[in-house]
Formats: sequence, C-alpha cells, structure tokens
Amino acid sequence: MRATPGSPHRGIWEAQVTAGDTTSRAEDLLADRAAVLYGPFTTPQLLRLDEALRLADQSTDLVFSVYVGELDDPVRGHAEKLHSQLADPDRSVLVCVSPNQRALEIVTGTEARKRVQDRDCKLAALSMAASFSGGDLAGGIVSGLAQLADHARRG
Amino acid sequence: MGRPPPRAVGGVTCSATVNAVSVLETVLFFVAIPAAVVALVFGLVYMGGTRPGKRYRPGRPFEFTPVWFLSAPERLSGASGVDGHAALTGPRHAELPAGTVGENNSAGDTGVAAQGDLGGASDRW
Repeated sequence: MRATPGSPHRGIWEAQVTAGDTTSRAEDLLADRAAVLYGPFTTPQLLRLDEALRLADQSTDLVFSVYVGELDDPVRGHAEKLHSQLADPDRSVLVCVSPNQRALEIVTGTEARKRVQDRDCKLAALSMAASFSGGDLAGGIVSGLAQLADHARRG
Repeated sequence: MGRPPPRAVGGVTCSATVNAVSVLETVLFFVAIPAAVVALVFGLVYMGGTRPGKRYRPGRPFEFTPVWFLSAPERLSGASGVDGHAALTGPRHAELPAGTVGENNSAGDTGVAAQGDLGGASDRW
C-alpha cells in the first residue's frame, strides 16, 4: 500500500492534517504513509479505498478525496477550509469523516456541484452515515464514493 | 481363549493387557495436556500483540492520526508529465499550502448547502 513510484497503487496518497496547519514536507509524508498502515483501516480496506478513489476519478472528470479525522467546530467550516486547500477546488469533491464527532461532510466545488447536486450528496451522505453507525468506516466511504461518482457520471 | 488371570500390582487388581497408571500420570494426562493446549491457543491468539482495536466502533474514541486520501496526485498537481516520485514529493507544497484559508469557509454547521458556490451535504450518525 506504499505509494511508491511505478507501483500500481501509487495513486493513493495520505497526508497528516493538523487542526490549523497542514504539514506537507516529504519526510512527513513518508512517515504518515507508514502511519496509515496502523490506522483504522486494514490493508484490504485500503486497497478497496484506493480502487474506489481511482475509479471515481477516472470515470468522472472530478477529483475525489477523503479525509478521515478530527474536524474543528464548526465542522462545516473546517471541511470547506480543507476543500479550499486542494489543488483544484472547483472540480473537487471532498468527503470529510469525523468518527469522534460522528459528523460527515461532503463538500463540492463550483464545477463539481453542477455534476453532483446537493440532493445527490445528501443521498450518499445518508447511505454513508448508515454504514458508519454500524461501525463500517471503509465500506461506507467506498459505497459513498461509488454513489457520488455514479451521479457525477450521469449529471 | 485362555486369558491369564488378573494380576495384583500394588494391591490393585488389574488386567494383564492394561498397565496400572499412577495418580501423577492421570493428573498429567487429564490436566496438564488440556492446559498445554489452552495455553497454546492463547499464545497463538496474542502472538500478534495486543494493539487496541484496529477498527472503528461507534461510541468508542477514535484515536488515529488524521489521514487524507487523494487519488492520482499527478493529476492533482496539474503537471501530467512528472514521474511518480516527483508527483508525490514535489508538488505537495503547491497543493496543500499551510494555513491558506478559502473565502468560502464561513458557513455555519447547517445541513445541506453552504454559502457561495460550494455545495455538498452534511450528516451525522
């Protein structure tokens, strides 16, 4: 699951994001990539997540990303701040999951919003929250991404 | 069938084909061996270390490092020609600038929709 150059699974990329600051140094990323393996996801789940993200990006022209961690209050504001830190926020869809706060936020950019409408997001959010309440983080994220990508393809 | 008569060993009558077993042997057989098997199973179970639950359970604290999953960093960076290593290390600074705050971050913790052009949805579980 390491994102090594040339490997088929180099696509997935993880970064540690602290509350008000974003660490982005290369050595931090390497350490974080190792830390992800000790995260809440097993290796098969990480592979499924990787596949879901890759399929969602390839089948649509949007950029999907998933953040799993603590969100500051207000969670919506923090999620939008994270979204604005992406390379191309207009075409990005960010899914923020905060298990401690039991909060889920989906943020779509200007262009992405035309493809994935808010009611589609709400529908995906409902399905994801149902999975999360059963304790299935990875499954909820994967199915939610699939739903969002499906709507983006048709929208 | 001329079976030999039972012999008496140590005051205990036993057959010619079955040897007498002592109390110590009985204890070893019926207690020590099961105990060894149980210990083996316990050892196998806890061999991988007792790291606290890897999975998320609703209601339990979630004490993992925050992670941000992105797919295809070379597409994100906008430079499609870069190799994987450069895509993983180089353009990160441009993509995730520290402390930058978008102008659309003042929406409250309301349900669907936000102010400005951002869309999306919120939910809780």
